[in-house]
Amino acid sequence: MLFNKYICMSDKLEEVKRNLQNETKTITTLKDAEQLKIKYLGRKGVVNDLMKLIPALPTEKRAAFGQQVNSLKIEITDIIEEFIKKLSSEAIPKVKNEIFDITLPGKRPLIGKKHPLTQTIDDIKEVFARLGFDVAYGPEVELEYYNFEALNIPSDHPSRTDFDTFYIRDDVLLRSQTSTVQIRIMEKRKPPIRIIAPGRVYRPDTVDARHSFMFHQVEGLIVDEGVSFADLKGVLNQFIKTYFGQNIQMRLRPSFFPFTEPSAEVDISCSICGGKGCSVCSHSGWVEILGAGMVDPNVFRAVHYDEEKYTGFAFGMGVERITMLKYGICDIRFFYENDIRFLSQF
Amino acid sequence: MKISYNWLKEYVCICLSPQELADRLTNVGLVVTDIQPVDDDFCLDIEVTSNRPDCLGIIGIAREVAAAVDGSFYFPETNFVSAHADISQFINVSVEEPILCPRYTARVVRHITVAPSPEWMQKRLKCIGLRPVNNIVDVTNYVMMETGQPLHAFDLDRLAGQKIIVRKARIGEEIVAINGARRALFHDMLVIADGKKPVAIAGVMGGAETEVSNLTRNILLECAQFEQRQVRRTSRALGISSDSSYRFERGIDPEGIDRASQRAVWLIKDCAGGETADGTVTLGPERHETKKITLRMERLHKVLGVEIKRDVAIDILKKLQFNILNAVDNFIDLEVPSFRGDISREIDLIEEVARIYGYNNIPTKTSINVRGSIKNKFEIVEDTVRQFLTGLGFYEVKTFSIVDTSPLQSLNLWSDKGGIDIANPLRLEESRLRTSLLPSLINTKRYNMHHGTEQIKIFEIAKVYLAGNKLPHEKNCLSILADTDFLTLKGIFESFLVNLGILSKCEWITFSEPRLFKDERAARIHLDGMAVGYFGEASQKLGFKTLSCLLEVDLDVLLEKSNFIKKYQNLLQYPAVFRDLAVIVNEETPWSSIEKCIMDAKVALVTEINFFDVYRGKQIPAGKKSIALNLCFQATDRTLKNEEVDSAQQIILDTLHKTLGAELRKA
Repeated sequence: MLFNKYICMSDKLEEVKRNLQNETKTITTLKDAEQLKIKYLGRKGVVNDLMKLIPALPTEKRAAFGQQVNSLKIEITDIIEEFIKKLSSEAIPKVKNEIFDITLPGKRPLIGKKHPLTQTIDDIKEVFARLGFDVAYGPEVELEYYNFEALNIPSDHPSRTDFDTFYIRDDVLLRSQTSTVQIRIMEKRKPPIRIIAPGRVYRPDTVDARHSFMFHQVEGLIVDEGVSFADLKGVLNQFIKTYFGQNIQMRLRPSFFPFTEPSAEVDISCSICGGKGCSVCSHSGWVEILGAGMVDPNVFRAVHYDEEKYTGFAFGMGVERITMLKYGICDIRFFYENDIRFLSQF
Repeated sequence: MKISYNWLKEYVCICLSPQELADRLTNVGLVVTDIQPVDDDFCLDIEVTSNRPDCLGIIGIAREVAAAVDGSFYFPETNFVSAHADISQFINVSVEEPILCPRYTARVVRHITVAPSPEWMQKRLKCIGLRPVNNIVDVTNYVMMETGQPLHAFDLDRLAGQKIIVRKARIGEEIVAINGARRALFHDMLVIADGKKPVAIAGVMGGAETEVSNLTRNILLECAQFEQRQVRRTSRALGISSDSSYRFERGIDPEGIDRASQRAVWLIKDCAGGETADGTVTLGPERHETKKITLRMERLHKVLGVEIKRDVAIDILKKLQFNILNAVDNFIDLEVPSFRGDISREIDLIEEVARIYGYNNIPTKTSINVRGSIKNKFEIVEDTVRQFLTGLGFYEVKTFSIVDTSPLQSLNLWSDKGGIDIANPLRLEESRLRTSLLPSLINTKRYNMHHGTEQIKIFEIAKVYLAGNKLPHEKNCLSILADTDFLTLKGIFESFLVNLGILSKCEWITFSEPRLFKDERAARIHLDGMAVGYFGEASQKLGFKTLSCLLEVDLDVLLEKSNFIKKYQNLLQYPAVFRDLAVIVNEETPWSSIEKCIMDAKVALVTEINFFDVYRGKQIPAGKKSIALNLCFQATDRTLKNEEVDSAQQIILDTLHKTLGAELRKA
């Protein structure tokens, strides 16, 4: 009995589909395709034969099977019509001398982009990961202690004026620098330490082309036995050559940060003018890109490290600044307006 | 600080052009930001870091130049002859607050002629941006710029009772400062008073009433030291800052006070004539305690990573005017000069040696050991999310964490408590830490709408700040705004979870937030019984011209639930059997109930349940709908027989019927 033969109708349908797929491989001409159409979809075709099976099925199976056959019919029609369309369009040009234009634009899918600041942070992370630095994080809303006292910036100290800060309460503030993460990490771990800490920082600056009340920094810290200023120069030089290019020069200038001593500002030779002097480097040939220095013994004391045994260096850089330099962006506000026409450029 | 090139050359012998000089200064840490020609002179603008108040006078800069270029350094002329009249005849000085005013000196010059200062002095003051006033005021400014020590000249005849009292201000006292500002004084402020009332705010600014005018004949010249914190606090509290307060706040040279006073008197006599009363009123210790430090050469090498010979280090320290007491073996004992208040530790000396030795002469080498670093889980999650979404055409945005207090921004999906306010905001537009990222994404959508981008798919990974105990709870969130229909973004989110290795099913619970979502088109998403996010079609009230969906999820929870450990599973050898079914259920029955019902039937062979269509209309009774679904049956150990699949399917249909009253749809 037919019913027994096709006890699983779905299997039968699968079989039909497989057969069709095999047969389509032999299609080379329009005629082949049309014959296949008659074979499957014609009045005496395979699909109609399947339809004829329905009355023989148990009542409860008829609806589902009917639907399956219908969708199979649609599928088969699509497949064969596709061939017919393709073959007839191949056939017609020969008659009309039409030429397929391979220079027509392709159909492009939309692509998205990571934010340029994320790209910069990722690039920086990548370089330092190769030098053995892990990534660490800390809170953005911080106790005053971590932003100041532990970093050797006592209250009422003149250098506090260098660090204007948003406050939440008396002793709670928005961190004005990612250096806070140094303390958080050293409190938790013993040396050796080798981390970078990217993140958002906040300063009450009026917004203009160069200033924003929120921006991003990447902080770095190494603490171990025998780490010296020469290592600081070596590591930062590696970073600069890898990130900015092998022909870029590095220059260090003495500077002052309460949490490092000796402290330095690090400049790179201006990549725009090659060091000859232009508006980007204020005609000096050098561009400041980061601050660095040997960790101040007072900072080690705050985290109960043996300041005789361990030495270390720390550095910090502004992500916006580096991104602006790299791409020649003239206004920091673009980063937060998120105009797609801007974001799509990077 | 601005300095004049010609003026500097009076104290240090150099043959460097202004540009060469600027380069040298920059190399020792005094960054020259600008060089401007002024007549036959140049004005150099120097950034002096807050630890180097000794460089807030041209003499201090000259000392640095001398050390940097090996030049000789000269002090300016201070010799003058005093008259016989003793100073005590003219003034009586007392200091009531010796801690806040460790040292106070006063000199008296009588019978002066107030007039414009000489051309050469005016030229120099103008070169560095100071406005000449008269010969007396100009001399005090000139000496301050020269030595870094602020001075003040009082009109002696206007001091009531011939008295100077350094004391705290009294309740109700006020003063009009030289700049015209009237200020009420508070009892914690230090003032210079005469016999009656305050005549100057100590270290900050003199009073208008006793200032030197064209009628002034006799002056009292004050040269003192005021405690740094006291000056800073007072200056901030009154909103008055001056060249004088700037210097006192950072600390002046306690041993340079008298020299500056003598220098000023010498110049006053030169410019305004008059005679100096004999003697000086001096209160406070003549000499301050010198700091003695030992520098260990071994430590110097350890910190700098370069072997600097002891003699080289000694030479550098000598040039910086440290007094070498002893140098034996690998130790240098020395005394710190009084003007270097920033130096008290060995590490400070190491910096001094490094600075003059030249940072760029220290080798650039790394001997740090090799170490492997691994990504932490947050980085992996962040990278995965960004890669997934950008691959689907989403743009990542970054918006401000500090927002306004509008109803939209006050939206808080994660906590009942309010947002955290900034105590000292610059503007109301940025005065509160945000509790949701969605309002900022909505604003970003609007911004782009107004700039010609109608269709947008954006996301942000950032923190929201929820009221906590001592510190707020900072929750990492992912928010998405996409111009798609509900099911498209929902599907993206479902694949997104799979991409993070999260295989548990989410529950979608009806949710209402009219500020964001369309009615009945929003859900709270639960994962393993925990609320992890909010999803819905954007409300028409947001004014978008497109159909848009919004999503905000708790990335911290997703991080916890994510799983990147992969394990190979055998590919199934035996074919799967697919069955399509259509069942008729009540309009109210959600797909999730049908799916759950099938899972609860616990038919082991069912490996997938896929929805593919919903149909209402002909053949379907009112109040009902037909759900078409596809079931996959598969066994790991055999090819399924049709009978097995039939009976499995029957169990499912029976359960659906029993639980939901579902009927198999017939042809």
